[in-house]
Formats: sequence, structure tokens, C-alpha cells
Amino acid sequence: MPVLQENHRRYDLHEELEKALNRVDFFRIFHTLALRFGFGHFGILQLGNENDACMLSSRLVLHDLPSGLAEEYDKRHRFGDAIVYKALHASNISSVWRADDPTLGPGQGLLSQLGFELLLCVPVNAATTGARYAVLFLGDGEDIEQAEHYELCYSAASAFDYFYRATLANKAGMGLTPRETEILKWISHGKTASEIALIVSVSEHTVNSHTATILKKLDVVNRTQMVAKAIREQIIQ
Amino acid sequence: MTRKAHILLVDDNPAENLILSGLIRKVDSIDIELHYCRTMDSAIAFLLSGKPVSMVLLDNLVHPRGDFRETVPTLRHQGFIGPIGVISSSPGDPYFQSLEEYGADFRIDKSEIDPTAIEFILREYLPEE
Repeated sequence: MPVLQENHRRYDLHEELEKALNRVDFFRIFHTLALRFGFGHFGILQLGNENDACMLSSRLVLHDLPSGLAEEYDKRHRFGDAIVYKALHASNISSVWRADDPTLGPGQGLLSQLGFELLLCVPVNAATTGARYAVLFLGDGEDIEQAEHYELCYSAASAFDYFYRATLANKAGMGLTPRETEILKWISHGKTASEIALIVSVSEHTVNSHTATILKKLDVVNRTQMVAKAIREQIIQ
Repeated sequence: MTRKAHILLVDDNPAENLILSGLIRKVDSIDIELHYCRTMDSAIAFLLSGKPVSMVLLDNLVHPRGDFRETVPTLRHQGFIGPIGVISSSPGDPYFQSLEEYGADFRIDKSEIDPTAIEFILREYLPEE
């Protein structure tokens, strides 16, 4: 991941963001951020076309909501009809919503449907593609003060920038790391993920994660195409 | 049906077992059974016993074996390919940047472990049944 210049001011989060390696590290950063500003939970939402049918559970790319909450919401409600969702498509200005917000109108109680009192939305963009996301903070606290709101928006945008570049960005054309090349070699020998995990002394989850990264970097869709392309490009013999 | 997970905690301080047990009781979406080993030798014996272990939570410093750079490869050499998380009070120390090279999956600060974090980690690392 390219190192940012000092001009990109990241204040208190600088060191932690530079050290973040994986989704658990970003969970730690966003979860701590939520708690620090009096919220209980966070979610990073991918915003698609406003008119597409959309489910809350499939749009959350990272979150710490209780297991099954988003799925239960989707069984009963249409997230694409929620005013909050439409508002995220209408403007990039951060918005704050309360469960008793009169603008939500009848049948629009996203917050009460999810069981929270306060929602703060920070619209964010992927620097390289412009793809739109929103960082959501959910809790039961009172309204947020202006200075805290500014700080949370800035911190959320900074953290999202790192999260996107580290885990969501298309890495096509980027070189493989020595560990990825090693895993690619074992895949080409026909080994399964669990066998490679034993050989390389990592978890099966790590092998699968590296495999997903290799697919992205080589811009291919399956292991067969991956091996064929790797041989063609002389990454492996 | 509630998912079942077996967590093996390896920590030479039994108080950490009590604390984690209390936190785990607050996780209601996953049925978690917590197993506890105070030493690396007993952890290795537990892994070799064939009892189910979905995930290992390993204190970074388990005496006398040293930090995760020694203990995680030791667990991996027993054939354990499930996720291993390293618990530390200073996971920002520079040597943690190479945790994946030593076979660990993630790190977490002792003070950050709460029911939400436990649920998130299990959702991330345990396959859907």
C-alpha cells in the first residue's frame, strides 16, 4: 500500500492506521472510534445505484452489529426505501438521525427497526475509483456536539481511506508478495487450502485470504485461471 | 440453531480465564465453549488430544516460551490450522507488524476484548455451518 505524505493529516489515528494489517485491525479502529464518541456500533455501507434493490446485510462491508440483526431487518423491511438510504444518495454532507425524528415519517423508522436511538452517517469516497460508501455510527446516546461531530467525520474518513486501500481496492497488476507466490506455487501443485496451511504453517483462513488477494492481483476469477495466468506470465514455472 | 465454537485460551494468568469466561457469557448469538490452558505444554497436549478447537486465543507472553514469534509456530507445528489470535496489552509494538509471517491471524488488545469484539472475530474466522 503506498505510503501517504505527511501533508495527509491523520492526527491521533496516524500511527494506528499505518499499522493496520487486516480486517480485525480495522474493526478495532472503527469500534474504538464508535465507543470514544458515545456510540455502541459502527457499519461501513457500500452505496450503489439509488434505484437498485438493496439489502442492508449485503451492503455492509464491515460492521460490528449483533449477529443476524441486519439479516432480520432485511426480512421485514426494504432498506432501499429507507429515507436514510435515500439521503445518503442525495448529499455528501454528514447526517444525524434520531429514532423519534419527525422527518423519518410513518413506516420509516430505520432506527427503531434496528433498535437504536441515534445514527450518524459519514459519506465517504474511495480515492482511486470514486466508489461511494458511508460509515455509520449507531448508539443510544443523546445528539452529538458540533466539535465532536467534526472530529468523528474526519477520523471516519481517514480510517475508511486506509480500510479501502488495504482491503477493498482492486489490486489488479500489483506484484505478489513472497508469501502469495509461495501459496500460488502450492495451488499449482494441486494442494488444497488446508494442506497449504499445514505446509506453510499458517491458518486455513490466511491461505484463503491470500488466495483471494492473488485472484484480485492477477485479475482472474478462479484457481484454474490463476495458475494458467501465473505460468503464462512466468510468476511460477 | 445457534452455532457452536470452541475457544482455547492459553494464558499463564488464570484471572484472564475468569474475565474471558464472563465476557463470553454475554455473547448470545454463538454457543461458545471456553477451554483454558495455563502453559504451552498443556495447550499442545490439548490440541493433540483431538478435542475440537475452533480458535486459539494466545497471550503474547506465555512463560517460559517467549512471545508469539515462538509460541505461534510451536502451535502450528502441531498441525493446528485454525485461527490464532494474539492477545497483548501492547499490540502496537513494531514486531506485531510481522504477525502473519509467524502464522498468527490477528492481534487484539486486552482492553479491547468485549462481547462485540468476540462476536466479530468469530464471525470473521469461523466458517458458516
